[in-house]
Amino acid sequence: MSPALSARSLSASLGGVQVLHNIDLDFAAGRWTSILGPNGAGKSTLLKALAGVLPHTGSVALLGQPWHSVPHRMRAQQLAWLGQNEACADDLMVQDVVLLGRLPHQAWLAPPNGRDWAAVERALRFTQSWEWRHRPLGQLSGGERQRVLLARALAVEAKVLLMDEPLTNLDPPHQADWLCVVEALLTHGTTVVSVLHEITIALHAHDVVVMRDGRVCHHGATDLAATHQAISAAFDHRIAIHAVGAQWVALPFVQPNGIPHGN
Amino acid sequence: MNAVDASVHKAARSPTLLAVMLVAVALFLLIAGLGIGSGGWSNVVQAANDPVSQLIVWDIRLPRTLGAWAAGALLALAGAVAQGLFRNPLADPFLLGSASGASLGVALALAFFGVSPMATVWIVRLGLTGAAFLGAVGAVLLTLLLARGVQHTLRLLLSGVVVGVVLGAMGSLVLLIVPEVMQAMQAFLLGSTAFVGWTSGLLMLVVWLVCMVLAWLLSPVLDGLALGEATAQSLGLPLAQMRVALVALIALATATAVAQTGLIAFVGLAAPHLVRSIVKVTHGRLVLLSSLAGGALLMAADLLARLLVAPQELPVGVLTAVLGGSYLIWLMQRSGGASGSTMDGRRS
Amino acid sequence: MQRRLTRRLVLGLLLTFYAFGCASASEVTQATDDSGLLIRFARAPQRIVSLLPSLTETVCALGQCQRLVGVDRYSNEPQTVKQLPKVGGGLDPNIEAIVALKPDLVLIAGSTRSAERLRNLGLTVMALEPKTHADVQRVIRVLGQVLGVPDADKVWRDMDEAMHAATQSLPPTARGLRVYFEVNQAPYAAGESSFIGETLTRLGVRNIVPAAMGPFPQLNPEYIVRADPDVIMVGDSNGADIRNRPGWSGMRAVRRNHVCVFNAQESDSLVRPGPRMAQGARTLVKCLERMTP
Repeated sequence: MSPALSARSLSASLGGVQVLHNIDLDFAAGRWTSILGPNGAGKSTLLKALAGVLPHTGSVALLGQPWHSVPHRMRAQQLAWLGQNEACADDLMVQDVVLLGRLPHQAWLAPPNGRDWAAVERALRFTQSWEWRHRPLGQLSGGERQRVLLARALAVEAKVLLMDEPLTNLDPPHQADWLCVVEALLTHGTTVVSVLHEITIALHAHDVVVMRDGRVCHHGATDLAATHQAISAAFDHRIAIHAVGAQWVALPFVQPNGIPHGN
Repeated sequence: MNAVDASVHKAARSPTLLAVMLVAVALFLLIAGLGIGSGGWSNVVQAANDPVSQLIVWDIRLPRTLGAWAAGALLALAGAVAQGLFRNPLADPFLLGSASGASLGVALALAFFGVSPMATVWIVRLGLTGAAFLGAVGAVLLTLLLARGVQHTLRLLLSGVVVGVVLGAMGSLVLLIVPEVMQAMQAFLLGSTAFVGWTSGLLMLVVWLVCMVLAWLLSPVLDGLALGEATAQSLGLPLAQMRVALVALIALATATAVAQTGLIAFVGLAAPHLVRSIVKVTHGRLVLLSSLAGGALLMAADLLARLLVAPQELPVGVLTAVLGGSYLIWLMQRSGGASGSTMDGRRS
Repeated sequence: MQRRLTRRLVLGLLLTFYAFGCASASEVTQATDDSGLLIRFARAPQRIVSLLPSLTETVCALGQCQRLVGVDRYSNEPQTVKQLPKVGGGLDPNIEAIVALKPDLVLIAGSTRSAERLRNLGLTVMALEPKTHADVQRVIRVLGQVLGVPDADKVWRDMDEAMHAATQSLPPTARGLRVYFEVNQAPYAAGESSFIGETLTRLGVRNIVPAAMGPFPQLNPEYIVRADPDVIMVGDSNGADIRNRPGWSGMRAVRRNHVCVFNAQESDSLVRPGPRMAQGARTLVKCLERMTP
C-alpha cells in the first residue's frame, strides 16, 4: 500500500537559517505517527512543510500523487492541518468557526448544505463542544477554544490529519478524550500525524519519528526497544520509558545523587 | 436549556434585525435631512411653489444626504475589509497610504492651477475630485510596489505606513512652497459633503454596489484568514490572488469616497466595531452590516454638522470622531464591567 | 444726379441704422475667467454674490455695490457690505445659502470645487483671482465689461494716480530703505514678487527678500538677522513681540525702534490685491515717514 504522505529531500529555512535538512519520510496510511524531539528540532516546521503552508525544497507526495499535480481544493479536502498558536477568530460563533473547516468541500460562495452541517455537528459532538455552538469564540476558555479548533480540523473529514500540539490548554480528561477521537479516526482509516510534547500520550501512536537538529534520527514502531533508545538519546537520556500495564510511560530520569546532569 | 435556546434565537435573529434597524435609521435621517440647512423646513413647505426652494431641497439637500450615506457606506466597507485582511481591529481604510496620496494629489492640483494655461486647462478638466482619486489610487499602487506584492501582510502594512508618511511629507513640502493653498487643503482635509450633487452621489452608490458584490464574493477568504494565514492556506484558499483583489477593493472604495467628500476619519474604523459589538457574523454579512452602519453614522454626523450652528456648518470629520469615539468609549466602559466582549472577557 | 445722391444718402443712413440696430441687439458680453472658461452674458448681472474680499471691493469701486446680494464672511469693506448676508467662506461656501439668494453671477477665486458645484446647479460662476498689480487692472477691466460699467479704466487710472501721489509723498530720506515685511509668525515673509512687495517696490524701498525666493517664502530667522533690514513691518499683530526673538534685539531696526505693527484692518488693505492698494500704500508711507536712517 502506498504511503499516505511521503517526503523526499525535504529542506526548509526559517529566517535564513536552515531548519530541515534533506528529510526523507514515509507515513503509512491508516496509522498514527508521532513526531518527537527536543525543542528546536524542527518538528512544527516539518509538519508545516508537509501541509504545504511553508515554502520548502524537495518533494512531497499526498496519497501517492505529487503535491503540485493535485489542485488546491482537492488537496485541502484530503489533508487537514491544525496549527499551533494560530490567530483566533474571536468574533465568530463556534459553529461558524467549525463550518470554516468545510470550505474545501463547498463550491465558492455556495451556502453550507446538509452534509456540511452534519459534519459540523459530528465534529462538535466529538469534541464535546456542541452545547456552546452559538457562543462567540472570544468568550471561551483556553481549553474550550482548543477543542473548537480541533473540531474545525475534524470537520474537514480529510484522509490525512496533521496536528501540531493539539493538547495545548487541555486538561487530563480532555486529553483522554482526544485519544478517543484519534482512535475513532484510525478506525475510519484516517492517517494521523501529530507533534506532541506530552511524550506519554505520544507513545500511544503506532509509529514514532524521532527528530533532532532538523534531521530524522529514527523512524519505527513505538513498541520497539530501538525506538525507546532513540527517544531517550534524543532527549539526552533525561527520560526513561517504562511499561505500565498495556501502555508506555515516559518518566523524567534523575541521577541518583540528585545533581543535575549537565550534559 | 431554555436560556440557551433563548440566546440562540437572539443570536440568530440579530443580524437581520440589525440590518432592518440600520435601514430604518437611514430613511429617518434622509427625511430629516430634507429639512436641515440654511432655510430649515420652510424650504420644504415652499418647494411646491418656489423653484428656488425646490432646487434647494431636491438638488442640494437630497443628493447631499444620500451622498453622506454612500460615502459612509464606502468607508465602512473598506474598513471592514481592511480589518479582516490585516486581522487587526485598528485597521482603517486609510491604512495603505490612500489618505496622504489623496492630499498630495489635491495639493499638487491646487499648486499648479494658474501656473500655465495648459496646466490650468488640465486641472479644470480633472477637477480636484479626479486629483484626489488618482492620488489615493497611486499611493496604494506605490504601497504594493514597495511591499513587492501582497504575500506578506506585515510587509504590506509597513509599506502602507511608509508611503503614508512619505507622501504626507511631500504634501507638506508643497504647502511650504505654495502656502496660498494651505487653506484650501485644510478644507479638503476636514471633509465635507457640501459639494456632493446627484452625479457624485449616484457615482458613489454605484461604486458601493460594485464593491459590495466584490466583497461578498471574496468574503470566504476573509473568513479563512480569521483563522490565521497558514490555516487559510491549508483550507485551499487561493490567498495571493484574492489578497490583490481585496487590496484593490479597499483602494477603489476609499478613493471614491475621499475624492467626493474629502478625508473623513473614524467612520471606517468605528462602523465594523459597532456591528461586531452587537452581532457575531461571518464577513459576508459583516461587510454589509458595516456599510449600513457607516452610512447611518456619516448621515447622522452630516446632519448634526449642518444643524448645530445653522446656517453655518461644522466640519463633518469632527462630528464623526465625536459620535464614533463616544460609542467606542462607551463600549470599552461596558466591557470593563461585564464579561462578554472581545476585549478582556476571556477566562483561562 | 440729385436723386441718385439722395438715394445713396438714404441707403447709407439706413445701413448705418441697421448696423447700430444689429450691434445693440447682439449686446451679448462675453469674458474669459481665470480658469479659461468663456462666459456669455445676455444682460449685465444684477444680483451678484462675491466670495472673495478683493472682488467685493472691486465691484464696489466700480460703483456697483448695490448689485451685491451676498458676500463671504471675510468681506468687510466698504462698510455697506457688512450688512449683506454672509454665505460662508471662499473655500467653504454655503451652497444652499448662495442658491437661495438667486444670484445671476457668483464671483469666486481660482479653481475650487465650489465653482463646479455651483455651475452644476445652473448658476453663472466667474473665477477671478487678482494676485499682482497687473491682475488688479485686468480684473477691473473684466468686471467693468461684464457689469456694463462705461469707463472702468477710469477707476484704475484714479487708483494709479493715488498710488503715484503716495509715492511722491514719501520723504526722499526714506527711499532706498531696506524693508522686511512679515506676513505671519512662522515666519512667512512677503517677497518682491508678492502684491505687497510690488507696492513696496513702487514706493522705492528695497525688500530683503528678492523675487527669486518666491512671493511668500518661509524664512529661517537667521536670514533676517543677517540681512539686518532698516525697517521691520509686521502684518500680524500676534507677532508683535519681536524683541524677544533670539538674536533679534541686536538688529538695527529693533534698536532704533523702526518697527511698524499693522492692525487687522490695515493689513487687509495691504494684503488684498484690490482697489484699496493706494490706501495700503499710504499706510506704508505713514510707517516709513518716521524712519530716519
